[in-house]
Amino acid sequence: MNHPIQTENLRKVYNLGRRKGTRIAVDALNITVPDGVVFGFLGPNGAGKTTTIKMLLDFVRPTAGLATIFGSPTTSASTRKLIGYLPEQPYFHKFLRPIEVVSMHASLAGVPRQEIKKQSLAVLERAGIAEYADTPIAKLSKGLTQRVGLAQAIVGDPRLLILDEPTSGLDPIGRRHARDLILQLKNEGKTVFLSSHLLSEVENTCDTVAVLKRGELVAYGTPDEVRAGDKQFSIWIDKLKIETRELLRFANVSIEEANSGTRITVSPEMLYYAMRILDKSGVKILRMQSERESLEEAFLRLAA
Amino acid sequence: MTGIWIIARMSLLENSRKQVFHVMCLLMLAVIASSTMLSIFTEGVQIKILKDLCMTCILFGGAALAIALGATGVPNDVESRTIHPLMARPLTRVQYLIGKFLGTFITVSLGVGAMAIAFGGLILMYQHSIDSSLGMAVLFTLLEVAIIAAIATMISTFASPAVTTVLTFMIYLAGTIKIGYIGGLIEKSQAGLSKALYLLIYHALPNLECFNLKSSLIHNDVIPGAYLGQVAFYGVCYIVFALAAGSLYFASREV
Repeated sequence: MNHPIQTENLRKVYNLGRRKGTRIAVDALNITVPDGVVFGFLGPNGAGKTTTIKMLLDFVRPTAGLATIFGSPTTSASTRKLIGYLPEQPYFHKFLRPIEVVSMHASLAGVPRQEIKKQSLAVLERAGIAEYADTPIAKLSKGLTQRVGLAQAIVGDPRLLILDEPTSGLDPIGRRHARDLILQLKNEGKTVFLSSHLLSEVENTCDTVAVLKRGELVAYGTPDEVRAGDKQFSIWIDKLKIETRELLRFANVSIEEANSGTRITVSPEMLYYAMRILDKSGVKILRMQSERESLEEAFLRLAA
Repeated sequence: MTGIWIIARMSLLENSRKQVFHVMCLLMLAVIASSTMLSIFTEGVQIKILKDLCMTCILFGGAALAIALGATGVPNDVESRTIHPLMARPLTRVQYLIGKFLGTFITVSLGVGAMAIAFGGLILMYQHSIDSSLGMAVLFTLLEVAIIAAIATMISTFASPAVTTVLTFMIYLAGTIKIGYIGGLIEKSQAGLSKALYLLIYHALPNLECFNLKSSLIHNDVIPGAYLGQVAFYGVCYIVFALAAGSLYFASREV
């Protein structure tokens, strides 16, 4: 099956000159991005994310290994008909207006001439920048330029979207808008390859994540698989009687006393049993929360 | 072809907004206009000087524009990363490079066209008729300028704008004096490495002097059509060669 993106032992080594030697940007990268998913590509600065994206788009050539887009080599220009790309910081000619930028990309993407204007206006509307369609890029803020980038990426109805930091420079409303747009695109059957530092967004939108560290893949799977440890629940209560404490021991819970009350940590399997004991004992529950490692914690553990 | 024209249009829009384009066009138009102050000469001499001055202006202005615009097009796109969204589209590097060259050439042609119209107007004013060879002389100047633009575009695929400007200018100068100077060196040198080197330089450099029809225009000489055809063919071949060499390198470089 031809996956939207597949890499096999992809490696990129930059030659920094005689004195500085070489730097491995990406090493033995094996990832498969299935059709119709939102794939989060994570890693700290300098991890090799942008280099990987550049290899996928044939901006740079791999030193070794292979990357394919829908089964075709990345060097094939015709493959890029299926791709929409948003660069990390989209740069467009400042004298152009958003409608001109998007129309030009629509034309390059092979949109029929009579459809270009209609489609361009539609994607500008979708990216939330239709009211600035005729304002020169030079006069737009960073966030608005980012939205122009999003609009040009989705024009031409590409099957695969490669988005490098799509929410960079966007305000909270813009970020929410971009996130909703990504989920809409997923629902339309598009595959989204998303590189981002905003882990809460990745956690909320991505089906699969890959974490890179110094060019090497250190984690790969669903967000749940990447997070470590078993899920646990913390129950904060006011006071705990001795007999209740004894009963709770059978639920295999850990009990800690703190200034703000008593904290009971329990596994999901024993949660029901523990809650029944607390209820029967008339204990006042202050709050309850899931104690699982967040993606951000997982990222810090894996990539720090 | 669509991709080439889109890039050419983009390049034209970009170039026509550049200060160097406006300044150079205005400067050359001012020099052409100032040639009306040559009234101290007799009418025949005045027209000859007018033709000489205006054709030199058109060539110099066109060449300067071709170097300035051709040297900056590709490196600026790479440096400012405006090339990335474009190259993420189904566009080959060769199409991109040809588009950039065409954009530069069309921009330069607009400048040369404006100068040629001013020149034709002056000739009409003084001579009350326009020589048939004037159009041909301007056309071949344009072809010479296209070669310079192609060389600048080729060099700009691997060098910075400053280096490209210097190298293209040196090639332009060497191409202008090649027959007289380098041809003389070949004749004087003994057989061996130096002669082979001179021969290599001689054949690699464009022979730009053959595009200069200024003296024929001044002296109202008739140039055989076959010769013009050969020169035009040579010019087109050189442009294709320069762009092919540039594309070969640009296709493999990192952007």
